[in-house]
Amino acid sequence: MGAVATTDAAPVTPRPRSESLPAGRRRPALARATPYLLIAPACLVLAGVLGYPLLNMVAVSLQRYGLGQLIAHRGNFIGLGNYTSLARDPQFWGVVLRSLAFTAVVVSVTVALATLIALLLERMSRPMRMLLTGGLVLVWATPVIVAVDLWQWMFDYEFGVVNWLLTFLRLGNFIHHNWYARPIEGFTVIAIVVIWGALPFAAITLFAGLSQVPSELVESAEVDGASGFQVFRNITVPILRPIFLIVTSLSIIWDFEVFIQPYVLLNARPSGPFMTMAVFMYVESFRVSQYGLGSAIAVVTVALLLAASFYYVRQMVELAEAPA
Amino acid sequence: MRGKHFGIGGLAAALTLALAACGNGGAGTANGNGPATLTVWLMTGSAPQSIVDAVNADFKAKHSNVTVKVELQQWSDVTTKLDTAFAGSNPPDVVELGNTLVAKYAAAGALQDLSSRRSSFENSSTWLKSLTESCTLNGKLYCAPYYAGSRAIIYRKDMFQAAGVKPPTTMDGLLQAGQALMSANKSDANFSALYFPGKYWYAALPFIWDFGGDVAVKQGSSWQGTLNTSRAQQGLSTLVTIVHDLSRADRTGDEAKQDQAFAQGHIAMIIANGWEVGVITDPKSGDPSLKDKLGVFPIPSHQAGQTAPVFLGGSDLGVAAKSKNQALADEWVRLLAGTKYQTQMATVGGVIPNTTSLLSVINDPVAGVFAAAAKNSRFTPNAPNWANVESANVIPDMMVSILTGQSSVSSATSDASAKIAQILNSGS
Repeated sequence: MGAVATTDAAPVTPRPRSESLPAGRRRPALARATPYLLIAPACLVLAGVLGYPLLNMVAVSLQRYGLGQLIAHRGNFIGLGNYTSLARDPQFWGVVLRSLAFTAVVVSVTVALATLIALLLERMSRPMRMLLTGGLVLVWATPVIVAVDLWQWMFDYEFGVVNWLLTFLRLGNFIHHNWYARPIEGFTVIAIVVIWGALPFAAITLFAGLSQVPSELVESAEVDGASGFQVFRNITVPILRPIFLIVTSLSIIWDFEVFIQPYVLLNARPSGPFMTMAVFMYVESFRVSQYGLGSAIAVVTVALLLAASFYYVRQMVELAEAPA
Repeated sequence: MRGKHFGIGGLAAALTLALAACGNGGAGTANGNGPATLTVWLMTGSAPQSIVDAVNADFKAKHSNVTVKVELQQWSDVTTKLDTAFAGSNPPDVVELGNTLVAKYAAAGALQDLSSRRSSFENSSTWLKSLTESCTLNGKLYCAPYYAGSRAIIYRKDMFQAAGVKPPTTMDGLLQAGQALMSANKSDANFSALYFPGKYWYAALPFIWDFGGDVAVKQGSSWQGTLNTSRAQQGLSTLVTIVHDLSRADRTGDEAKQDQAFAQGHIAMIIANGWEVGVITDPKSGDPSLKDKLGVFPIPSHQAGQTAPVFLGGSDLGVAAKSKNQALADEWVRLLAGTKYQTQMATVGGVIPNTTSLLSVINDPVAGVFAAAAKNSRFTPNAPNWANVESANVIPDMMVSILTGQSSVSSATSDASAKIAQILNSGS
């Protein structure tokens, strides 16, 4: 989001003063204020819809804010109490580590698969490319809840087509196989659903980036005897670096906060071993009515995300500032 | 950006909405005779529409200028909706609350104290004890009992006959009858003698209680989790054996779809509420031809000649403390909780009415078994934080980890007991 907003705002730089202005006349105050006036509405909207709730969340995270306080509209200030009780809760650390591991796996697989699909798209004949792009866009266009419901049916314990198919293909007896009995299998299913949903954006974005790779460069490298992999490593990847950075950092943000997929796949009653950051936050606040604690989890999530994506955001900013 | 995930944004937005709701007031109406709207939240499946309509008609006859808006809520996300509704300045005037939820909302100050008006409710001296207790916190009455439901075993008479077994009268007998049914239906890979989804903890409680165990007990001023006592573990182990031998239900699933599954004909027994008979034989969701093939018997005890204590589920009717139509809300509750409509709830609705004085109106043999089961009933710990134990899925999680073999009965019950004690004793 942030990256997009910055690029949107970029054209609002003040225009160079026209030479035709009579010398000695002072720049009018209005002209100097123009850029700020132009950017003000966007800033106001951001402050209203993002800043206020964020500040509010930080404030609530410093209070004991249960159901009684919610109804009375008054929390009890307890300083860092919610944070210290989180730090002492082994379940919370389990959730953090689980989310980090899940994010690492899902982001790597997403970016790797998306790169392969993008390279494939580039080498396809036009009709096949249209077909594959159409399929990707369809995935993208499917509402998440609908898609996750479909996946849930496919992996269903009693009526699921996956169990039927695996048994039919004689890959073992999968009749009444429960995909959520063991967390590792359950998370594999969740990861498949998340990656499936994330691929279209990543693949199409990378494919768009591939069109920027000058074909003369590739051709001359090939003439010089570079192998396909060498071309990819030494030409394609460096040119696509900004795109990789954007796709990776957005994927990190999305996958670390993943909510709908685990929540819906597990019938809105996720058990302990399936808690990820966002699910844990939701359960603590809206199920157990500990809004203070839930807000503290949210603040920690933001902090972790900032830390995790700091490297990528810095790289992007450097790339944006570097002369093209 | 893509609506793909909502996390912090969603939480923050919802919090803001919840907090912002405090700002606008003034939409309320006078207590007097002016036109008013009474908002009532009932749960899906609680009262048949015909009864709701009749209550509203009676109410309208006395208050022609009051509009009654009855809104049906889903059980699955009801605590989230109740939290936000009670936090706002215009909550629903009348709310139906599951009996295990009342203590949480009463303790938080969401419900009006009805103690002084208790005698204005019909049959309040003969209200079901367990429901009245669920409405009572620190000696004050926060709601009126609405209706109750108890569980028994619904079975297929034809399958029992084919396997040559009779309704069992002991837990051992239940296991043996089930094993006979399993071997009589060997050829059906989907067959369950007793269909028991892993998260169905309301049906696990009778096994725990029957052996003298309990979920938690209050010692002095603090709660102690007691699922890890040897008696509770004995009950759970008995249940685990039964589930392993007799059930092919999803061990991580819940009971939401058990009636539809039962209607498909691969199941001989389920542990169910009285009203579920109607779902099984419903032409749309079930199979009407099963009507004459269904029988009911109480969950047997491990001691011959007794039945296991069952969980008395049910609902209560509360009035929101912030309601601006207190008197009207009271009156609406008095109608639905009174003799006239409680009789209909029992005869038309198929539930157990809120007063012992009306138990005699149930003369259907099937419904009679459920009403009899209600007499030997128990309740979950009546603590303000109990609803949080339910919301945190502590007991279903414990059951799933035992039934899927992730942990032993002793370690799973120890973990669950510790967690329950921690939730019940935490200040809210």
